[in-house]
Amino acid sequence: MRARLRPPRTLKVTGMGRTYLVVTFGVGLGALNTGNNLLYLVLGLLLSVIILSGVLSERCLRDLSVRRVGNEGAFAGEPFAFRWALTRRQGHAFALTLSEVDVPLTGEGGVGHLPAGAEHVVRADLTAPRRGPVKLVGVRVTTTWPLGLFAKTRVFPLPGTLLVFPRRGFACATPEDAATGHVGEAHHPHRLDGTGDLAGLRELGEGEDARRVHWLKSASAGKLLKVEREREERRTYVLEVRAGLADEALERRCEEVAEQAHRLLEAGHEVGLELPGQRLRPGAGSGQERLLLRALAWVGFEEQREEAA
Amino acid sequence: MRQPLRLRLVLRDLSTAAAFASMAISSQVPVWALVLFALALIVALTGRRPLARAPRLTALLLLPVAGLLYLAVASGQMDLVVAACSFAGIVAAQRLLSESTAATDGQVLLVGLLMIAGGAALSGELVFALCLLAFAVLASLSLGLAVVEAAVPPGEPVPVRAVMRPLARGTFVAVVGAALFFILIPRLSWNMGVRRASPGLGTATSGFSDTVRLGGSGTLKSNPRVVLRARLTPDPVDTEHLSAYWVGRTYDTFDGQEWSTIGAAKQRHRTRVTLRPGADKQVYQRIELLPAYGSRTLIALETPAKLGNALTHTPTGDRRTRLQELGGDELRFVDDGLGYSYEVYSLPPGTDTDPGRMNQTEADQLLALPENLDPRVEQLARRVVGDEKDPLAAAQKLSAWLQREYQYTLELSGDLADPLEDFLFVRKAGHCEHFATALTLMLRTLGFESRLATGFFGGERVGEEYIVRAGDAHAWTHVLVPGRGFITVDATPPAFRTNQSIQILESLVSLYEAIEGVWRTSVVDYSFRDQLDFMRGLSRPPRDPSSDEQRPSGPPARAWWTAGLVALGVYGLVRYLSRRPRRSPLGEATRLVDAVERQLTRAGLPPREGETLEDVSARFTRDAHPLGPTLAPLTRRYLEARFGQRPLESGERARMLEDLRRALDTWRQGSRSNAP
Repeated sequence: MRARLRPPRTLKVTGMGRTYLVVTFGVGLGALNTGNNLLYLVLGLLLSVIILSGVLSERCLRDLSVRRVGNEGAFAGEPFAFRWALTRRQGHAFALTLSEVDVPLTGEGGVGHLPAGAEHVVRADLTAPRRGPVKLVGVRVTTTWPLGLFAKTRVFPLPGTLLVFPRRGFACATPEDAATGHVGEAHHPHRLDGTGDLAGLRELGEGEDARRVHWLKSASAGKLLKVEREREERRTYVLEVRAGLADEALERRCEEVAEQAHRLLEAGHEVGLELPGQRLRPGAGSGQERLLLRALAWVGFEEQREEAA
Repeated sequence: MRQPLRLRLVLRDLSTAAAFASMAISSQVPVWALVLFALALIVALTGRRPLARAPRLTALLLLPVAGLLYLAVASGQMDLVVAACSFAGIVAAQRLLSESTAATDGQVLLVGLLMIAGGAALSGELVFALCLLAFAVLASLSLGLAVVEAAVPPGEPVPVRAVMRPLARGTFVAVVGAALFFILIPRLSWNMGVRRASPGLGTATSGFSDTVRLGGSGTLKSNPRVVLRARLTPDPVDTEHLSAYWVGRTYDTFDGQEWSTIGAAKQRHRTRVTLRPGADKQVYQRIELLPAYGSRTLIALETPAKLGNALTHTPTGDRRTRLQELGGDELRFVDDGLGYSYEVYSLPPGTDTDPGRMNQTEADQLLALPENLDPRVEQLARRVVGDEKDPLAAAQKLSAWLQREYQYTLELSGDLADPLEDFLFVRKAGHCEHFATALTLMLRTLGFESRLATGFFGGERVGEEYIVRAGDAHAWTHVLVPGRGFITVDATPPAFRTNQSIQILESLVSLYEAIEGVWRTSVVDYSFRDQLDFMRGLSRPPRDPSSDEQRPSGPPARAWWTAGLVALGVYGLVRYLSRRPRRSPLGEATRLVDAVERQLTRAGLPPREGETLEDVSARFTRDAHPLGPTLAPLTRRYLEARFGQRPLESGERARMLEDLRRALDTWRQGSRSNAP
């Protein structure tokens, strides 16, 4: 409904602008009441400034073009970096703020001065409240130039989709058993010693087997260091989001699976994903994590995925 | 939190100072408010904001101040507007010393705006225009910088240089626009609450009082402010400097220290006063007394015969005023005003005049001497005059002697017990009042009737008028010559009769007065009639009534020029509008959505609460609804049309609605046939 009612340019009076208008009205009344020409002079200046504000703000929003540069992983519930590239064909623009239109993304980016010709990348920290694809309709460019009395907005139609990954930091349960067995004595995922020569040391992660701590090096470094060997024990996990989950339960499961996958991949395991109507083969590394997060972000929004495709 | 830009704060504070100055120049703002604001400004300009820690408490302290001001207004000790202006100044001071936030900055500038409005109500000075201009420029720069500063991401520098130039250009355009608005806004006044403006820049110093006291110093003589403008008919065109006496009043009684008049004021007020019969070749004067004059006494070229048609100038326009006769041939305006204008007919110099209406007491007073007059005065007079019996010849002898033997000076020793004795026998130097007093009393000691006259001497030609300055204030002697009336004899050396101000100062003040004159006529006194004249002047040149030139047939060249400029403006506007990106037919797209929703509702598929057409289309697609394939392209076309990418073509809306109607019919039929 909001989109329907929105004209190409919108003008909003700021708080100071409202007071300014009241003062203008008062001075006008005073001028009429007293016939004092100096009040007419002040009134003329106030009215002139109002018109000038309209003209200059309009000039600011003219000859602009916007494109989305993209973003690094957008996780629900936390700020993520988002960028727009702003170009002006001629003339200068001042005090522009950019945000996405009609989407539940909070935050905006700003630029103080935009000269003609050069492309300026505007960065903003946006926050998405929930997981899933966000259909982007356009970019809203607002300016309060020149005096901050009025905020003039122009919407640049720019369709697109932003995929918001599940929320991070959800306290998940221990992953289920590995799909393929281990080699060696250990039966617990934490007791994985690996084989071969010592390959290196790294800080012991949360939940990792304390028996792999290299105590001598840890004592000298002042922190717990874990031994890594040439052939690390790799396990393969296939995490699952069952069909039939909806709403909050589905959200929680997606967040849980995302967190589990993150931990397992961090630990060097291979992780696959079983989703309703889709299966991702197990894999390791950050690329696999991104694939898993994308797949989890689309869960429950399959029809939009088809549209987007 | 980002540190506010120092330059912006300085501009903001200075703009507030300009706004406060616009009120302060009226000299009506109380001293305590002036001092408080000045202190706050100085502290703020040093970058300290001592009230930042307790903004609410200090804001609460403003309440008692408001209460005290209210009491002062209620008890009649303070004018309401002055009280409001003073309070605005205190609020501005409190805000200046508070922490700089967006809200505070806005409040400071808005209070500044109120102070400017207060200044407009309190003062009509040219300096107000300067304050207004300074406020407009400084506040615009400050606000513009604040807007850009808010948009710049934290950590990045504010592009001050890039901002200043367009802001300055914009401010210039705003000022030009203000002038245009000022000219064109219809002057329709309800005239319900009118204030009296201040009399002028500084205090008026040339005012007349009921007495003339000898002593003190002659600072008035160095004051170059213009107090009087006069247009004379017949106009002595080639005379740049008039050697004329402009009389205000006369004095007949001297008590040894000061001159006064025994004549009583008349209660009757009249619009025209005839002091003496007229004569041929009278000099007509249209005189304007300016605010710097500061008195209600009429001034006229010697010797005035008739005075009248007086207007009082007030902030709301001119109104007629009457005249009151006082002793000493003085006439006063009954009403107070910023200035006055009136007409006078004076007898030409050298004309035998009627001495005026005097009773016996007044006539006897022309020979009255102070009781303690030094006997040497009479001896001196006799020695100079000898046995001369003609009053005028005696007066001229004495006058020539005084001019020869005595020095003119403005540096005097202050009040003395016998200033005349000091002048004649001790210092042998004085100013015009000493010379005139000496001549008058010396004549009286010899039995010649005389009196002291005060007013102005001189007159500089400026354009078609003559101006008289405050420093031209002068005193001289009237000698009563039987059959010829009072004759002017001036004992002051001729070089010192006019004002004694420094030449460069006189030039500067003349320039200021000229600009102020333009300001008053073009701004302060601008009226609906002036607006009509301006509009008329765009198409018709003003007619010179003295010219016999025939009106040309057809419109004058000026009308063609104006029409050409208007056409050019319209053409430019049309070009500008046509170059703007064409907006999508908003109404068309909106009507399409309305029609779609109506059709869906009629078919029993109304959109849910808060659901847009996009949502409905997405829902239908998700649910594999039979209408989904029809609704999806329609929705896409609506969005395209709505955001200006592809406006709906002619007939496209009807075509799409027809497709939807058919799809709905098909769906309805299918639903019925599937129903059990």
